[in-house]
Amino acid sequence: MSNSDKHKVTATLAAATCSLLGSSLPDPVHAQEDSTWDFNTALLYYGEDNDRVQDLSVSVLAKRTLVDDRLLTLGITLDGLTGASPNGALPQSFAQTFTQPSGKRIYSIDASQLPIDDTFKDTRLALTANWQQPLGRLYQFNVGASASREYDYTHLGINGKIARDFNKRNTTLSAGVAIAHDSIEPVGGAPEGLSPMLNVGDLSNRNKSDTKDIFDVVVGVSQVISRDLIVQLNYSYSDSSGYLSDPYKLLSVVDGVSGDAIPRPQLPGIEGPSHIFLYEQRPEDRVKHSLYAQAKHYRNGKVLDASYRYMTDDWEIDSHTIDLRYRWPIRGTHYIEPHLRFYSQSAAEFYNLSLVDGDPLPDYVSADYRLGDFDAITAGLKYGWQTGGGKDMSVRLELYRQSGKVAASQLIGNQVNQDNYPDLNAIILQIGYQFGK
Amino acid sequence: MTNSQVDRRVHFDQGDRCWRGQFIAMAGPCEILCETDDPDEARSLAKVAAQEAWRIEDKFSRYVDTNTIHRINHAGGAPVTVDAETAQLIDFAQTIYEMSEGRFDITSGVLGQVWCFDGSDNLPSSEHVAEVLAKVGWHRATWKAPVLQLPPGMQIDFGGIGKEYAVDCAASLLRERTDHSCLVNFGGDLAVTAAPRNFEHWVVGIEAIGAGRGIPSKLLQLRVGALATSGDARRFLQKNGIRYSHILDPQSGWPVADAPHAVTVAADTCTQAGMLSTLAMLQGREAEAYLGMQEVQYWCSR
Amino acid sequence: MMMSKVKPLFVASLVVWLGCGCSSMGVEPWERDILAKDEMQLSGDPIEAATDDHIYFSKEASSGGRGFGGGGCGCN
Repeated sequence: MSNSDKHKVTATLAAATCSLLGSSLPDPVHAQEDSTWDFNTALLYYGEDNDRVQDLSVSVLAKRTLVDDRLLTLGITLDGLTGASPNGALPQSFAQTFTQPSGKRIYSIDASQLPIDDTFKDTRLALTANWQQPLGRLYQFNVGASASREYDYTHLGINGKIARDFNKRNTTLSAGVAIAHDSIEPVGGAPEGLSPMLNVGDLSNRNKSDTKDIFDVVVGVSQVISRDLIVQLNYSYSDSSGYLSDPYKLLSVVDGVSGDAIPRPQLPGIEGPSHIFLYEQRPEDRVKHSLYAQAKHYRNGKVLDASYRYMTDDWEIDSHTIDLRYRWPIRGTHYIEPHLRFYSQSAAEFYNLSLVDGDPLPDYVSADYRLGDFDAITAGLKYGWQTGGGKDMSVRLELYRQSGKVAASQLIGNQVNQDNYPDLNAIILQIGYQFGK
Repeated sequence: MTNSQVDRRVHFDQGDRCWRGQFIAMAGPCEILCETDDPDEARSLAKVAAQEAWRIEDKFSRYVDTNTIHRINHAGGAPVTVDAETAQLIDFAQTIYEMSEGRFDITSGVLGQVWCFDGSDNLPSSEHVAEVLAKVGWHRATWKAPVLQLPPGMQIDFGGIGKEYAVDCAASLLRERTDHSCLVNFGGDLAVTAAPRNFEHWVVGIEAIGAGRGIPSKLLQLRVGALATSGDARRFLQKNGIRYSHILDPQSGWPVADAPHAVTVAADTCTQAGMLSTLAMLQGREAEAYLGMQEVQYWCSR
Repeated sequence: MMMSKVKPLFVASLVVWLGCGCSSMGVEPWERDILAKDEMQLSGDPIEAATDDHIYFSKEASSGGRGFGGGGCGCN
């Protein structure tokens, strides 16, 4: 290209255009790039019934787009948790007493009441950072870090992902890796698995802290099927090792015939558990495999998002998740989005409602309802709109219900009279606000 | 063949503080946004703009066999008398041809017979290219308004100017009828007729090449003026590790090396913006330097 | 056992995916208007996805799927 090409052609072009359009040119152009910070914020309330867990959280996600399609994302979440969680012991036809995790005092549970531990008031701070940028024309890579801290748990993790486009960007293959190192410093210390709950003031069976390492790999492919349909298929592998037990969960030791908890000798002047409870013990390793498929389809302004996930692990838990969302625009920028989620899982191999007194102790056992056999359903509705200033707002309300399935063969004696695996009912309310675009 | 099989209706809906009319023209989605509370006014303005778009499309489309372009391209060497509008476009094309030292040439359309950009490695032979190149070159045409004479086998094509010209014509018509702010958008080439009153500016998105993977599109605040984009839309050939983009140099008959994938330029009119983005693409590797020299606002994706 | 069937099943479906002429499936770059819309992104609303992942991670035994598996907290 010769040097003369580089002279300004704008004057010639302006004059030529003037002749072409046959009128005086309009006002000079006034264009500028818009702000490239994008903030996504949300306020969330999660509440379970029956005095169980309640959580209030605030999240902020900030995205900054830089030149050449590079993207920095920073996230912060603060949440406050209160309320009680089941401790794994079974309800009995008589009152029971437990020592708090701190070992400082006892708490009592009435007859026929699900034993729940309400000493949890926890605040958690979580931070995430992610950097995304193209590599050449067809590759994109992501690198990120995450950290969170609550008074008994610290998490540190890093992750990376690479993606490549094929077939005119209709197909994208991606692979990602994440590793995390978590430390657990339970209140009072982590109890030795399968050791008994001790009296107030006795922390002899506790270890100060323990750790957990997690290694995750995700590989996936996404494919554009048509102008309005895109699908995705992911395979995930996850390996956790270290302290995987829940330090606050235990099991009731029961009589092999009556199914009632075994009373524990009480010493005068010393408070302690009323019955024999043993802390749970999960394996030191867990390998999970998941297969996830998702499709998003657009039709006349409405979008259907459907996904299915199958998970299986070496604890013999299998789960199926079906998630459906339908975004339905109504007048202007307003839309509603109903949501349905179906979840079903089978119990871990070492899951048991209780331990029979006199039987040999298993290597691993847990009565944590979250490792049991249950179905869950979520039904929700989200309403979203754009404010006058072009900001996106949304409100969503969801109801979550978990129903455990306890096989009759698992129940011993009087246990059939109790609601051993009560349903979990929770409300999720979230308000979202997006600005900066 | 006419374009009557194509849907020629205008669909209306209400946006945020504006009314929008959408229709298909120039082989793509078009829309007119009007900053007005009056739906009837919006409807009539959108219809005026749509009819202007269809008029220009029918007049200069290569696929309509009863129009001026067809007569010109099938005259077999005979001189053709053209109307005033066509004459103005040819004058304009000639000025740009001279200004770009032959890089912009409305007779270069026939090269499309030789080049097929389907991502394969089917490069044409140099003999084949040379054969067709003999029929390219504005200097071979005889133009003295209003008479145009093309040697047999040569053709002209207003594809490189048509859409932007249509945007400006439609914008002009709307400016005569209203002083409300309207945004005329023909498939990404657009112009704003007057500065809006109830809001600061129109917001126009330029899709980042990675669009669809969490990268937000670039957003521009456009108060008044025009934007045009030239893009290769990933049409290319590849052989021996070299990628041949679909921007053809009319002088060599071969693709311009290292052209950007998309160039968006902001200018006073869509015609100016379109010409600058096209000329920038023709500079290949030097696209950004060329636009920098012109002191215009531009956004380039490579 | 189910686990050992998962891997070969995934590899098989991936091979079929890439080999089945997916080079002809899809759209031209200029036909990506709908796919570029926010509501058509596979990742969905980031905060909503992260919140749901976290809630279900703490109430169920499964996690992740779309991205990395939630976690990073003491809730399970």
